[in-house]
Amino acid sequence: MKTESSVAGIIGNTLRKHPWLSVLLLLTILLSIGFSLLPPLVLEKIVDTLTAGEPILFSVAVGYFAIVAVSGLLDAAKESLITAFGQKVTHHIRSVMSEKLKRLPASYFVEREPGVTASRFVNDVNTVDNLFSSGIISMAADLCKLVSILVIIFMKSTGLGLLLLKVTPLLFWMTRTFQKRMLKAQMENRVAVGRTNQQIPETLNNMRTIRVLHREPYMLERYGDTIEQSYRAQERSNFYDAVYSPIVVSVSSLLIGIVMAASAKSGTVQLFFGMSAGTAAAVIAYVSNFFGPLESIGMEIQNVQSAVAGVRRINEFLKETEQKKSTEQVRGDSIAVRVCDVSFGYREQEREIFHNFSLTVAEGESVVLAGRTGAGKSTLVTLIAGLYQPRQGTVRVFGRAPETIPEDEKRRWFGYVEQQFRLVPGTVGDQVSLLDPQVTDAQIRQALEMVGLGETVDKLPQGIHTPCAESLFSQGQFQLLAIARAVVLDPRILLLDEITANLDSQTEELVLSALRAASQNRTVLSVSHRLYSGAPNRHTRFVTL
Amino acid sequence: MSRRDATDHIGYYFRKEKWTLLVVAATGILYNAGMVAGPWFEGQMVQYLCDILGGNRQAMEMVTLAACYVLTILFVQFMRYLKRLYVRKFANHISKSMKMTLYRNLLHRKQEDLEGAGSMMTKIISDADACVEGMRKFTTEVFDTGVVIIAYLVMLLSYDWKLTLLSMLFPPIAYFLAEQLKAVVTKNVAQSRESSARLNAATLERVTNALTYRVYGQETNRNGAYEKNLTDYEKKAVRANIWENAMQPIYQVISMLGAIAIIWFGGKNVFGTGWSAWNIAAFTTFFSCYQKLAVKSSKAAKLFNAVQKAQVSWKRIKSYLAPVEEEPERSIAAGSALSVQSVTFAYPGRQALFTNVTFAAKPGEVVGLTGKIACGKSTLGKLLTGELPYQGEIFLGDVRFSNEGGRYENGVGYLGHRPELFSGTIEENICMGKPGDIGPVLRAVCIDREVEEFPDGIHTVIGSGGVRLSGGQQARLALARTLYHKKPLMVLDDPFSAVDLETETRIFANLRVLAKDSVVLLISHRLSLFPQMDRVLWLEDGTVTVASHGELIQKNVHYRTLCEAQRKEAASDEN
Repeated sequence: MKTESSVAGIIGNTLRKHPWLSVLLLLTILLSIGFSLLPPLVLEKIVDTLTAGEPILFSVAVGYFAIVAVSGLLDAAKESLITAFGQKVTHHIRSVMSEKLKRLPASYFVEREPGVTASRFVNDVNTVDNLFSSGIISMAADLCKLVSILVIIFMKSTGLGLLLLKVTPLLFWMTRTFQKRMLKAQMENRVAVGRTNQQIPETLNNMRTIRVLHREPYMLERYGDTIEQSYRAQERSNFYDAVYSPIVVSVSSLLIGIVMAASAKSGTVQLFFGMSAGTAAAVIAYVSNFFGPLESIGMEIQNVQSAVAGVRRINEFLKETEQKKSTEQVRGDSIAVRVCDVSFGYREQEREIFHNFSLTVAEGESVVLAGRTGAGKSTLVTLIAGLYQPRQGTVRVFGRAPETIPEDEKRRWFGYVEQQFRLVPGTVGDQVSLLDPQVTDAQIRQALEMVGLGETVDKLPQGIHTPCAESLFSQGQFQLLAIARAVVLDPRILLLDEITANLDSQTEELVLSALRAASQNRTVLSVSHRLYSGAPNRHTRFVTL
Repeated sequence: MSRRDATDHIGYYFRKEKWTLLVVAATGILYNAGMVAGPWFEGQMVQYLCDILGGNRQAMEMVTLAACYVLTILFVQFMRYLKRLYVRKFANHISKSMKMTLYRNLLHRKQEDLEGAGSMMTKIISDADACVEGMRKFTTEVFDTGVVIIAYLVMLLSYDWKLTLLSMLFPPIAYFLAEQLKAVVTKNVAQSRESSARLNAATLERVTNALTYRVYGQETNRNGAYEKNLTDYEKKAVRANIWENAMQPIYQVISMLGAIAIIWFGGKNVFGTGWSAWNIAAFTTFFSCYQKLAVKSSKAAKLFNAVQKAQVSWKRIKSYLAPVEEEPERSIAAGSALSVQSVTFAYPGRQALFTNVTFAAKPGEVVGLTGKIACGKSTLGKLLTGELPYQGEIFLGDVRFSNEGGRYENGVGYLGHRPELFSGTIEENICMGKPGDIGPVLRAVCIDREVEEFPDGIHTVIGSGGVRLSGGQQARLALARTLYHKKPLMVLDDPFSAVDLETETRIFANLRVLAKDSVVLLISHRLSLFPQMDRVLWLEDGTVTVASHGELIQKNVHYRTLCEAQRKEAASDEN
């Protein structure tokens, strides 16, 4: 589906994917509006019957209730369907976004706080949900209802219809003005609340100064001032909030009063306002139902407006530049790693970290990359792992561009021991398998044995099925887990980034021997660190960057 | 202060706002009692119309009635406006006094209890908000649900008590059903929240570990797992929403069962064959009142929920609202001499950091304190503020300091390693509410020129923690503040670390002038100024040697080596 690079496209697709749900939703909305308009009409009949001095049939009484009941059930169904539909849309948006994650370049993740990206998924998509459940759909429904009531009132009393037509724009304008002012006041309030909240950590940080200088009263006053600011903003919003619905009710009763007075007057006005007692009862009911949707529409406009920003951010996310992939034909090569005239810098304008760099590593060879900090040792490893693509030149692993290796084969090609162990949710075994279904328990055990963690893990209450937590292992043991994770599917190449943890000498020895065990019969490319350079094996070749 | 008036007693807050509450009560009763006026007038108008059409009434009577109706509604709605406004005012006032009390408590909490206080305060404040919200809802609903239901009931009973009782059978059924299903609703809502929390955690985890998953070829697998989270959340969110919102119309339908009775028996009443003799007005008024009552009673549960929630929050914050006792100030005259007598200090459970420290200093003297890294010189400085407990005696003038720790003596100024600046203007940071001219202290710390060049001068806002200033500027601003709040004893811990040598010398000269009637203890690892000190304290292996700079150079090898090493470094820097 090509259109899935925008929220609108996704919504369209969701509609198409669930045609029955969409039709049902539309039908329910229409029916619920229709039924909500009926009760006053029945009331009109009843009052007119009574005025005429005739008795009411029991069936009419039951009929009235039936209409109310159906209307209520339809309302419930409408609410549920809107929610269901909104959830379908947000589910779909999140799925599309998670697919997008796969195509984003590595730099995207490095440059942004994970929390910011996660908030695109969580908060911004939630505003789209709001857009649905309390925005567009309900706005359309309310608008329909408003027009229908207006039409009925016109049929019952032309005069009242005309009056309403005059008053509605005015009231709607007032509604919007009030809502905008309230929103503004609420924003100010939020800023002030932020300032108030900020004062707490600040106070804690500066507590000694406050106390030494005995400025507690001043700080209290300052805190009071910020609270006061927030309340002044809130009082303004309170004013509009408090005054709005009394005005609406007053206006509607004013209208009713005018209509009743006018319809009682004989003469030309009677043409416009004339009605029976039953009609009067019905009209009163309609007028009091008229302003509800009006107020809702104002709110819904606001919801749509606030959702717009969220939608824009999601669209931006979906349009982020994607990772480039080499389209070169795959040619087999017996050389394990071939780096040819590679130049690389992280960002466009940034200086190159290395220029025209070349390196070949034969199968089974062990190469240690040495050089000062910032020389690009780790960067080179990430290029070989396929996380980044060179600006110029080529990186080939057994003749293949690393980023084109199919996902399910990757772990047989590379084992990559990162600088820091990344804990994933799940059991101890999951740390090794990385939640990969193709890794068997036997393979996990074998890998744990190899790095010397077998015994430690066996001692845990549920062995490899023990839920993993930070507290379960020491820093050094997590490094061992990282090595086990890298070698569990017996990769041809082992990439070792610098292990930065401070390890005591005993653990250091453990990590060292685990690395030695893991390196056997493999091509190894490692970034120089004191552990490994301290004990080079006889095949080791040093390359200085 | 009696127990009931204490800030940790809920009644205190209600009593404090008794005038606001009085307005709320008066307007609330008038408004809610007036709520029955609407249906009554509307019924009368229908009746009048009926009569006029039948030729039994004059049209003018309707005009009078309609005018009365509009005026009454206006009055009732005005009462409603006042009530709404004052309920919110009430909430605002309470929220403010609660938060002020919480903050005052924080300011007076012991230094050692401050660990983790930040996140705790966030929780407590949100509890305070929940509590106030509950109090507001309670105050609102007492009138908007309680009073109004009574008003409607009285109205209905006065028209036909039998029919009222008959039709009122149904709303309690709806209420009962809602209560029965409450557990289910709560369970579903909780499940949806849990699923939402899981989804959020999974999102963050997926993004945080994205590159690890990429290197290991697990992105598709992880997206598959994420998809499961999404499906679970979708299911639970829809279910919770249906239970929570879609049930509401159904309860109302059940309440409306009473309508059948009203139409049937009410019709008979009008027809003249029922329990009471009704006209059209009675019929429409009764019917419309009943509808409004049905809606209201379905919301009665809200009242209890709000109170319950508020109670839970109140319990959590109650202990933090206990009134604090402020310590009485003990003023110490300017020009008091400092005398430290055999002071010994150890951190709990460890061996003594220093023992039997004894020295004295007269006003106007500057004493230098130095020693190797981690010798405890900063701790000795802190000790003089009263923060830490110790053995021995410290006198400032004729006042003996408390050696129990946990308090700050009045006559002591202290400047630690961190500048401890506030997000405010430069002037606010220095004055901290004590009005005066900050020019002299700015000049003293040689920052006056730089401040003049700022866009807003001393009114320049320096950002959270002073981030908009350089490290050197932050340090000098903090020193200026300490000097502005001049005390008989001033302890300055390494105030010149971020300042170049020349500026250091100038500031030191200014310091001498400005603090001519105070004792200054200057802690530093940089010794360039030490030849100018009136006295030098050398702290080594837990003991203090007190001497002049010259004497120490003579008799202390370590001090001499340190001085020489620093002099060489300085010399090589100049080259």
